Amino acid sequence: MKKPGFQKTAASNHKINGVHFSSFFDPGQVICQTDTEDRNGIFREMLERLARQHGIAEWEKACQVLVEQEERYPALLGSQIAVPHVRLESIDTVVAGVVTSQKGIVYGKGVEPVKLLILMLVPKAAPGAYLQALSALSKACQSPEVAERISALKSGEEVWRFFYQQGMILPDHVCACDIMDPVKVKLQEHDTLEKAIDLFVRHGVEELPVVDKDEDLIGIVSAHELLRVCLPDYILWMDDVSTILNFEPFAELLRKENKTWLAEIMTSEYVTVGEEAPAIQVAKELARSRANHAYIVRGQRLVGVVALERFLSRILRE
Amino acid sequence: MSGEETTPHMGLRMLAVLGVSLSLGGLAHWMNMDRSQVISCTVFFLIIMSTLMFWTFRLAIAFIGIGALMGLNVLDLPTFIHECKLDVILFLVGMMVTVGVLKELGLFTWIIQGVIKTHHMTGMKFVMILVFLSAFMACAVDEVTSIIFVATLVFQVCDTLKMRPTPFLMISVLATNIGSTGTMLGNPVGILIGQKVTPPLKFLDFLTWSFPIMVLVLVVTLFLLLYWYRRDIHLLSERLAARREMGLGLGPLVRVPYRRSLGILVGMLGFIALHHQMENWLGLAPNTVLIVAPLVVAGVLMVWRRERARHYIEADVEWWTLLFFMMLFAVAGTLEHTRVTERIAVGFQEAFHGRSWLLTPVIMVISAFGSAFVDNIVFVASFLPVVDRLGQTPLIWALLHGTCLGGNITLIGSTANIVALGMLEKRYHSHIHFFEWFRVGIVVGLISCLIAWGCIALLSPYMPTKAQRMGEPEVPVQMMEIVPDKEVTYVDVEKVTP
Repeated sequence: MKKPGFQKTAASNHKINGVHFSSFFDPGQVICQTDTEDRNGIFREMLERLARQHGIAEWEKACQVLVEQEERYPALLGSQIAVPHVRLESIDTVVAGVVTSQKGIVYGKGVEPVKLLILMLVPKAAPGAYLQALSALSKACQSPEVAERISALKSGEEVWRFFYQQGMILPDHVCACDIMDPVKVKLQEHDTLEKAIDLFVRHGVEELPVVDKDEDLIGIVSAHELLRVCLPDYILWMDDVSTILNFEPFAELLRKENKTWLAEIMTSEYVTVGEEAPAIQVAKELARSRANHAYIVRGQRLVGVVALERFLSRILRE
Repeated sequence: MSGEETTPHMGLRMLAVLGVSLSLGGLAHWMNMDRSQVISCTVFFLIIMSTLMFWTFRLAIAFIGIGALMGLNVLDLPTFIHECKLDVILFLVGMMVTVGVLKELGLFTWIIQGVIKTHHMTGMKFVMILVFLSAFMACAVDEVTSIIFVATLVFQVCDTLKMRPTPFLMISVLATNIGSTGTMLGNPVGILIGQKVTPPLKFLDFLTWSFPIMVLVLVVTLFLLLYWYRRDIHLLSERLAARREMGLGLGPLVRVPYRRSLGILVGMLGFIALHHQMENWLGLAPNTVLIVAPLVVAGVLMVWRRERARHYIEADVEWWTLLFFMMLFAVAGTLEHTRVTERIAVGFQEAFHGRSWLLTPVIMVISAFGSAFVDNIVFVASFLPVVDRLGQTPLIWALLHGTCLGGNITLIGSTANIVALGMLEKRYHSHIHFFEWFRVGIVVGLISCLIAWGCIALLSPYMPTKAQRMGEPEVPVQMMEIVPDKEVTYVDVEKVTP
């Protein structure tokens, strides 16, 4: 059996399908058990190290981008793990750096300190590379103890070997489940309009999925649909709405909101994508149906959601 | 036609169109028709077949067809302009603008809200309202306008009650087509027949001879539909009752200032209804006021709402449809110009010589099945000159009823059907299958045609003859004798019937 060695730069020319994640770094790109708790300081230190090793000139600018990006969307992956990344034009391979900390790096307000930080530099010409890497990492880092175990390792070589032994092979493509977010708010089929309006107002969302007792997706209620219930076609025909300046149709809705079941305003026109479908399928469905959300399902069961703006952000910016 | 259609598929259709048209042209040649007659027949069938096979290209095909007729020296520019029937087109423009204004003023909102807030609504009551509303709205503001507004009501009620809208939409369409026979405004076919027969018919003629038949046909159809869709109606009643128990309505209600719009509609209808008296009083040609009334009303409304005037003309007038009508009228006019229709009329005369009582059902059957598969305006535009040449008043009503009632037979039978299907597809992404429609359409179509035929046969002795309508000395009962290439002469029917 071939002894594991440092096999770097296997991911050249933007093709990273089937590549082992450990090939993106070597023990020299690992900062073990750092005492620094400052996230931005760690970013700087690691980027400087990677820049030296790979001849990256724009590392300071990359550092600035990284800090701003993590302020907006902290790239957390499970418990105590962060996988920030930055896209660079000057590289044509994925480069990674690993930082471990036993005390934990302070990553942001209300966020658990991070014990494992994997910083990735991704070629700009490979928009899916980061998501493919994230997909491989997320499968290996599902257990909450992973961060503890890696942060206990004493050397860069041990850390590298851990990654190698976990068999983190990058998938051929990014799946829908790799880019989805968990569904934070949803409605049950027996809920009333009153609850839907409460959730719309409280969470500032545009639409809410409705599930049955088995958590199967059965429809959505959108704020737009709600508006159309108050102002149906036959009212919209009128040019002069001065007679309804006091929102009479809304008052009517308010009066009966606790008697109106969601089924009355729920629509079955929504986009679903299987969790194992390629992520590009999400883009296709969103574009084809001009929808703002794609619901990710396992069979009929709702497992996540991809919002259009999050999709664009993940593919083009984050 | 689908945009994804394959080239071989299109090629086959083109071959079918060419094959049928050239065969019919050959038939015309075999019947000893002259060159211009053969060309006009061939191009006419080419356009008809092409519009059937390539519906989305119908206007383009009609433009090319007109070009072909002119290029082959069968149609000249003055004849084309005359045959475009601009009077009919302008009447429709005026109506479309007026309806657009009435819509914005809330007339149709008020009507729909009137139905929605009806107390103790049941399935049966809803269907009865739907049938009469569809029919009478078609009488007042044409079938397409009627179906657009009534379909919206159906969708509102069915969405609220979570019911399948198809049965109720079909009920509305069937009633709309029946209602469109009631007045001259009910259907473009009505205005075309009324304006183009010799002498032109008055609005009052429709109210006297066609409206009562329409009401009888509508009532019988209502009972038929109540039976046919009894399960859906029962389910609707159950859901309505459940909703009523919860104190919930069928949709939001707002206060609508409907009086102005209702006044405009009633005023325009009054204007149109009194056209004959006004024409006599002002010494105008027949139907001048009838044609001009909607235009004048539209003009006044456009001055009143001047900031929206351009919108009414650009958005509310169906220019695509009107241009298609103009081209078809011109193509059909070529048949008349080349005396093809005269030849057909002579054929009818010879075939039914001495059996004039048979002509009414024959015209009705031909019209019903013709308009079931061909756009009814196309059918009437081409068949009207033949019926007009036969010179019998009952045949005009047979053509009107046959065409409009025949439109119920298939889902492509009338413009109202196509508009309703389009609305259903757009809203629910579902469609009605041909046979789902045909099953009820053929029953309603046949029964309504039978009733209409019976009524026309009963009323025939009381209908004014062509000569009476022209104000010529009265001849008791007349039948026309057509002599090819000569003026029409009248003979006493007593001499030709056994």
